Amino acid sequence: MYDLLTNLLGNQIVAYVIAASLPLIFVLTFVLFAVLAERKVSAHMQDRLGPMRVGWHGIIQTLADMLKLLQKEDIVPEGADRPLFNLAPLLTFLGTYAAFAAIPFAGIYVGSSTAIGIYYITAVSGLVVAGLLLAGWASDNKYSLYGAMRTAAQIVSYEIPTAIAILTMVMVSGTLSLMKISDMQTAHFWNWWILGGPETGIVKFLLIPFMIITFLIYYISSLAEVNRTPFDLPEAESELVSGYHTEYSGMKFAFFFLAEYANMFAVSAIAVTLFLGGFHSPIGYLGHSLGIDWLIPVEQFFWFAFKGTALVFVQMWLRWTLPRVRVDQLMVICWKYLIPYAVVNLIIVGIITLL
Amino acid sequence: MELYDIIFYLIALTVVVSAAIVVGSKNIVRAAYSLLFTFLGVAGIYILLGADFIGVTQLMVYVGGILILLLFGIMLTNKVYSVDIRRENSYIIPSIVIVGIFAAFLIFVMTETNWVTADPTFPNTTVFELGKTLLVHYSIIFEILAIVLLIALIGAATLARNDNKER
Amino acid sequence: MKKYLKNTWDALWTIFIGMKVTWKHLFIPSVTIQYPDEHRPIPDRARNRLYVNIDDCIGCMQCQRACPVDCIDIKTVKALPTDELGLTSKGTKKALWVTQFNIDFAKCMYCQLCVFPCPTECITMTKVFEFSEYEREKLLYNFSNLTLSEVKEKEENYAKFMEKKAAEKAAAAKAKAAAEAKAKQESEKKDNDNKPSSEEKDS
Ligand code: SF4
Ligand code: SF4
Repeated sequence: MYDLLTNLLGNQIVAYVIAASLPLIFVLTFVLFAVLAERKVSAHMQDRLGPMRVGWHGIIQTLADMLKLLQKEDIVPEGADRPLFNLAPLLTFLGTYAAFAAIPFAGIYVGSSTAIGIYYITAVSGLVVAGLLLAGWASDNKYSLYGAMRTAAQIVSYEIPTAIAILTMVMVSGTLSLMKISDMQTAHFWNWWILGGPETGIVKFLLIPFMIITFLIYYISSLAEVNRTPFDLPEAESELVSGYHTEYSGMKFAFFFLAEYANMFAVSAIAVTLFLGGFHSPIGYLGHSLGIDWLIPVEQFFWFAFKGTALVFVQMWLRWTLPRVRVDQLMVICWKYLIPYAVVNLIIVGIITLL
Repeated sequence: MELYDIIFYLIALTVVVSAAIVVGSKNIVRAAYSLLFTFLGVAGIYILLGADFIGVTQLMVYVGGILILLLFGIMLTNKVYSVDIRRENSYIIPSIVIVGIFAAFLIFVMTETNWVTADPTFPNTTVFELGKTLLVHYSIIFEILAIVLLIALIGAATLARNDNKER
Repeated sequence: MKKYLKNTWDALWTIFIGMKVTWKHLFIPSVTIQYPDEHRPIPDRARNRLYVNIDDCIGCMQCQRACPVDCIDIKTVKALPTDELGLTSKGTKKALWVTQFNIDFAKCMYCQLCVFPCPTECITMTKVFEFSEYEREKLLYNFSNLTLSEVKEKEENYAKFMEKKAAEKAAAAKAKAAAEAKAKQESEKKDNDNKPSSEEKDS
């Protein structure tokens, strides 16, 4: 990708900047779409209609909301620590966006072809925690601080099962590079890791139940990492107004919002890459059969976006199904259930792969 | 390469400035967040040098772990506002002397050492070799370290446990 | 251990059941009524904005007296005998020009108490309930169908009529007084006939 862009533009720096902002375009469009989708999904699950006024069936409602947010007054509370207050949304979005650098969107596009992609992603998600803590702290508001504390405790706890689930995948696939993991699951859907991956024979069938368990563990703990219901304690409206972003308005609030939705896609994208074949088509490529080369990346991107969005939809579905858990339940789920399961699962999968 | 130089100096500037803020800031939270940028900068330098695994580990351990723990500790502390970081200037002469000696020593080492310049081609992946070293050559040490960590964890949990009979 | 596994299974299974329920609801037609575009039917006896059929109003002010918040303000001018006001639809004869019939809907509480006393049933509840305004003055409805100039004319007419009447009355009174005076004079004259005086000659 870089070479292509460098050749095209003749300048390395410009090529880098363009390549780095490609995911941003995707994220922005995704967020525009996802916010509306969330509202529509929630509405229809509650037998309502959701936004209907702006455009056909409210299709450009998010755009209108964004314009509204842009116009809003930027309020900084009096007791707030101004520079830190301004830094927090940026830091949060930075941590989220940094993860996109290592996610392979298609065979030809991955931000950084680093060999340790998945490790890098787990590391940069720490920046999000720092940003959220900062937001809660700098707002000088007890609800914000509570929310921030809860976020930090929650994300740090749930990073453990997430990391162990990822470790399981790294162990079976033998690589940290998301590109390589994707390429292992090419061709057909029975090559997806959730269905035993490219292994053959008895090992494949032994792997399937444990891969499903790994997927569930990853998915549940990733829900907690992006603060989605049932783990949305950090911004529990009924208890904490809206948690760490209570004091934010206008563009800064929009940044948090953007980061939240981008994060939703990021964790779904990782789940897709690790378990569901990444950007590879489950049924083979049209480009191959027609002999059109440029169609393949387009198809790959389509499948990637499709699978990621499907998982995001499941997140929304869960959100409008389950009530919020209590703080003690949150910790019980993590430490007493997810982590033991993840560890046992890791050991069993290790033994199976030795077979 | 020019671009790499520019990036290096930018990162170095970030590290130095934020480190200065860490030392100079009176507000403990601000100091902690400057530390974040110092860590980020150091990780950036590692990555720039081709040691991607070390760089990311730096990020993971320091930013994701230690810094968050630090912030957590600060924010859970009572009356953070009244905590005054001591910045007394009473030991000004001894500190200048010590810093001077240390700086002279560092500069001496820097100029006198016969630096081994690495092959400019970056190793494609450092993980494989690292894993092999850790888990094959030094596996026993690795395991012992793990057990030490485990003991520390258990000790912390025991200390923190509430031994009330009623519960 | 068994309980632990069962807990896990229960959690996953109940989440699955819950998701099934929400999935079903995703396809149930929604119950939302898109309000300004769609309306729910308004019940027959709903109390909303008032309407006054001014052609039927006889200006009896019963409604004004009935209103607990005094939001109806009626002014009437008596019609001249020559004015042809017509009849109400019920056949009552109208005798007053209703020059002002204001209802202040900012004050009205839609109690319907003004509706019942009306003898001609011309003040009624309608089904209109969306009539909010940006200015309070716009909620002051005037139902009178007379224009300002007409009102003025009627008032002047009435005033003139009254003047005329007063003048007539005065004239009548004068005439009467004159007649009386005359009669008195005459009777006095009769009394004084026998003894003529110098004063009489002067007058
Ligand atoms: S509805 Fe009630 S408040 Fe309104 S005008 Fe009639 S009597 Fe008065
Ligand atoms: S009670 Fe009826 S007739 Fe009488 S003034 Fe009111 S509206 Fe007119």
